[in-house]
Amino acid sequence: MVAELNKYLRRELDVWSLPTVLLGFLLLVPLFTVAIGLGDTGPKWDHLKSTVLSGYVFNTLLLVILVTTLATLFAVPAAWVISVFEFPGHRVFAWVLILPLAIPTYVSAFVYFQFTEAAIPLLVKIRNVWGIEVFQCAEIALRYGLLTILMASVLYPYIYISVRASFSQQRQRLIEAAHTLGHGLWSVFFSVALPLARPALVGGGSLVVMEVINDYGAVHFFGVPTLTEGIFRTWFGLGDLSSALRLAGLIMLVVFTILFFERAERGRARYADPGHRSKTRTLRKLSGLQGALAAGLCLIPLTLGFLFPTGQLVIWAYRSWGKVFRTEFAMHLANSFMLAIVAALVLTFIALLFSYSVKLHPVRWLKSVTAISALGYSAPGAVVAVGVMVVIGSLDRMIASVGDGAFMLSGSLLVIGFAYCVRFLAVSLQPVNGGMSRICGSLDEASRSLGRGKLATLWHINIPLLRGTLVAAFTLVFVDILKELPLTMILRPANFETMATTAFSLAKEGRIHECAVPSLILLAAGGLGLVTIHRLILTPQR
Amino acid sequence: MKKKITLLVSAALFCLSTFTLADEITLYSHRHYEYDKVLFKKFSDETGIKVNVVKAGADELIERLKAEGDNSEADLLMTVDAGRLQRAKAAGLLQPVESKLLSERIPAAYRDSEGSWFGVSMRARILAYAKDRVELGELKSYEDLADPKWRGRIVVRSSSNIYNQSLMASIIAEHGVDDARVWAQAVRKNMARPPQGSDRDQIRAVAAGLADVAIVNTYYVGLLINSSEPKDQTVGKGTGIFFPNQSDRGTHVNVSGVGVTKASKNSEAAIRFIEFLVSDEAQAGFPQVSHEYPIVEGAPWSGLLDSWGEFKTDSLELGRLGELNAAAVTVFNEAGWE
Repeated sequence: MVAELNKYLRRELDVWSLPTVLLGFLLLVPLFTVAIGLGDTGPKWDHLKSTVLSGYVFNTLLLVILVTTLATLFAVPAAWVISVFEFPGHRVFAWVLILPLAIPTYVSAFVYFQFTEAAIPLLVKIRNVWGIEVFQCAEIALRYGLLTILMASVLYPYIYISVRASFSQQRQRLIEAAHTLGHGLWSVFFSVALPLARPALVGGGSLVVMEVINDYGAVHFFGVPTLTEGIFRTWFGLGDLSSALRLAGLIMLVVFTILFFERAERGRARYADPGHRSKTRTLRKLSGLQGALAAGLCLIPLTLGFLFPTGQLVIWAYRSWGKVFRTEFAMHLANSFMLAIVAALVLTFIALLFSYSVKLHPVRWLKSVTAISALGYSAPGAVVAVGVMVVIGSLDRMIASVGDGAFMLSGSLLVIGFAYCVRFLAVSLQPVNGGMSRICGSLDEASRSLGRGKLATLWHINIPLLRGTLVAAFTLVFVDILKELPLTMILRPANFETMATTAFSLAKEGRIHECAVPSLILLAAGGLGLVTIHRLILTPQR
Repeated sequence: MKKKITLLVSAALFCLSTFTLADEITLYSHRHYEYDKVLFKKFSDETGIKVNVVKAGADELIERLKAEGDNSEADLLMTVDAGRLQRAKAAGLLQPVESKLLSERIPAAYRDSEGSWFGVSMRARILAYAKDRVELGELKSYEDLADPKWRGRIVVRSSSNIYNQSLMASIIAEHGVDDARVWAQAVRKNMARPPQGSDRDQIRAVAAGLADVAIVNTYYVGLLINSSEPKDQTVGKGTGIFFPNQSDRGTHVNVSGVGVTKASKNSEAAIRFIEFLVSDEAQAGFPQVSHEYPIVEGAPWSGLLDSWGEFKTDSLELGRLGELNAAAVTVFNEAGWE
């Protein structure tokens, strides 16, 4: 009996699982606090259902489909031509294509919003010629169109990065296969490369979906009420927290479904890289019209997502520089950097721990713990913030009851850091899990059978192989936190500003032109980080 | 010797005074205006009390106050509408304050009867119109915007915005929920486009010819006129200003206001801060810098506010706006006003 129990425990538990479980639960507490109310029907739920709910769901789904499709169309062809061809500007495109990630969606929205204003004379003409119904349709089409383009063009890099990594790894073999079979590279693209890159596509795509669902700034600005707007309206406007949480639950359910499919997708095939990498650099040369075409494929998303918004910001910043630039900016920038670097380090470490403990002990419940504790990414930032506040508030009450009340967590940077971990674990966990699954299990086995312990194997085998992935995870989190707004706004200590809050405050006052300066600083900092990851991991091995 | 003693005594007094006054208060504020920074600095210079600020949305700040409870470092909550102060009061987050100065200087309608919050500046929700397409006498009241003659001619921002929710609350207070719903449906039908953008964007849309009337707050027109952008200046100057409901209950107004939190550990300094906000000096700045109306009667207006003229204000007690807020959002949802 004891032996059986022992055997059972040994099968289900592992020392490495312990910190993962503890940390996972710690990260889950705020979400759990929020989710606790999910069961009750709020007093206004029926009202919501009969009035606005269907509209929220429709807008959310429409936007998700439109943006994800367009982002895929931007990302995949560009990733393909970068991975297998050499054409004019090829090397530059390879890294500048990830730069839109450095632009916060709300900043890009300010830039794109001016088009709705510029289009007014045209819309007035349409109304005068075709009447008010046609005009109203055109107005709606214009707004949804612009919103789709602006969101897809800042979010496509999520797909680009993961798909391109997949293409690059397959490149050598793909090109050989194409040669052997007498197929063109484009035919290989559809029949082999794309199917192989599907997990990467789904992984990157699911990040895009979550970003779209949780966006609050851009959709509000463009007058497209989604579920996220519904949450705040129901909570604050109607004063019905339980119904608001139900809406949040609805969102998390959608995201959970997506993640589930992504996992299932990954599970269906083995994507582990047997270890050998293409050392040679055999890119097929394109010149003339074909080269121009390839460059064009890269130039379109780059222009929409980076060149245009940045150019506009530069013009605005030039005009308002003297008025806005203050020495405090250095301080705000230092705050941004400090927060982002520390939090990104911690998150990368947690992701590594989670991923490795699952690898050591691949049981279903442990996988679920890590997957669920990353759910914070699927809830709107402000909802996470409130969950964190409630948890920290009760902690503070406990501390105050034993101490003298002088020490408080609330309003300290520790709280913001914790909130970032709750919110952004998915961003670091996704790539680290992906990287870990590509490391062949036989390497670990070999190391362990040679007498190395688990920690030593992690240190000598996994971490070196994961180096690029870890840097990528760090940087993705770093850039996300640099841009982060709702959590920082609400949880920050008094008199504490970051670049993002500075930019937002100026924009909120309607001083769009003046918000260009901090936006550009933010963008430069994020861009620099992104270039670094590119240098480290995405550059094809020479 | 005498001189030395005087010097010593005054030095001691100085040390003592700075010691007792070297104080801090923490303000949770929804206001994002440049003028506030000037005000806070002036207050600190005059009193030696440092003002720490956490700026975020009022609803989120109220949640933070709730979560922090008695441990909160906040001494004051400042919002851009009375409704949310009333909500904070209802949640037990604010403490009643007695100040003769405040009750003398602030009209009763613009402060809580129990002293939980005080309005410090005022704005009116008015109709900005295209002078060339709207005839004099065509504009009357908020109610009149439901008339089919306005079909395709109105622009207004989303009903998620607190200014619209407060306006709706004032209409519910006057006519009841059912009539308010009928009104909202009709106004929604008369809109040129679905609600979107800020109050500024509505004024710009009128200037560009997309619509003829926009429902906006007064100070936005002032901000456009005084913008550094020549384009915005033209928009602001070209827009007509109409104060609706002058022949009945008056134009809907709201306040920026502030209340002392229940958790405040320094309520004396907090009250002093509110008293400073309604001082002649501070009040004179609101019209000049942020184009708001002063709350204190008789405080000077700016040339711009003078040019818009005196107007009759809705005398509804502003606390009612908070009580009717949920009803207002319900009506908006039912009427399909996004």
